[in-house]
Amino acid sequence: MLDNFANMIAAFTAPEHIGTTPYSILWMFPLLASVSIIYKATKLRVIFVKKFVKEVAILFLTLSLFMIGVAVLLYFVVWFVTG
Amino acid sequence: MDSRSKLDHGLFLLVVGLAAWVIPGGGHFLIKEHKRAGIIFATITLTFLVGLYIGSVGVIDPVGSWPWYIPQMMTSPVVGFMGHLTKVQGYHSYGKPGDIGQIYTSVAGMMNLLCIISAVYMAYCGRGEIIGEEDA
Repeated sequence: MLDNFANMIAAFTAPEHIGTTPYSILWMFPLLASVSIIYKATKLRVIFVKKFVKEVAILFLTLSLFMIGVAVLLYFVVWFVTG
Repeated sequence: MDSRSKLDHGLFLLVVGLAAWVIPGGGHFLIKEHKRAGIIFATITLTFLVGLYIGSVGVIDPVGSWPWYIPQMMTSPVVGFMGHLTKVQGYHSYGKPGDIGQIYTSVAGMMNLLCIISAVYMAYCGRGEIIGEEDA
């Protein structure tokens, strides 16, 4: 039991390996989900589970689409400048 | 409102703000917004822990990256203890994992700041499940 706990704590003392690849951008999606949840948790007057989940999903999709749009735009800017 | 009750109300707002800082969601819990408190606690704690897991405890660096340390401190005073630990033990985090870890932990702190303001504002307005629930 104590060994398991020590192993768990040790996992927080060494960084994970994440390469500088386009896939590392995918790490933004869990963060966007967190932002959506917290924003709606503070914004809704009363929390009803169904309504809350629906509102969070809509906000998450909106933010994701916006960020994907920005990524595509930046890709073309870089392609235009360097190409 | 007489001066005594104004003082009590001011103290209550202070306690709500402090509770929201010490434990994410604690402020909402005090004003009986239990569902909201649970959601806030789970989300902010998980976001912060994911950041720590990716970048290690080295992402909390009060000396080398103090601009990130300010929003990180908004998550909880426990971050101060972690910062001390990082300084004494010499943990470091660089590169992409360090970046992502710093972004996650700092955003968790900024979200908790939003929740602190929300809890204090709700307490100020007398809102919360204590006043009853709306019909579905």
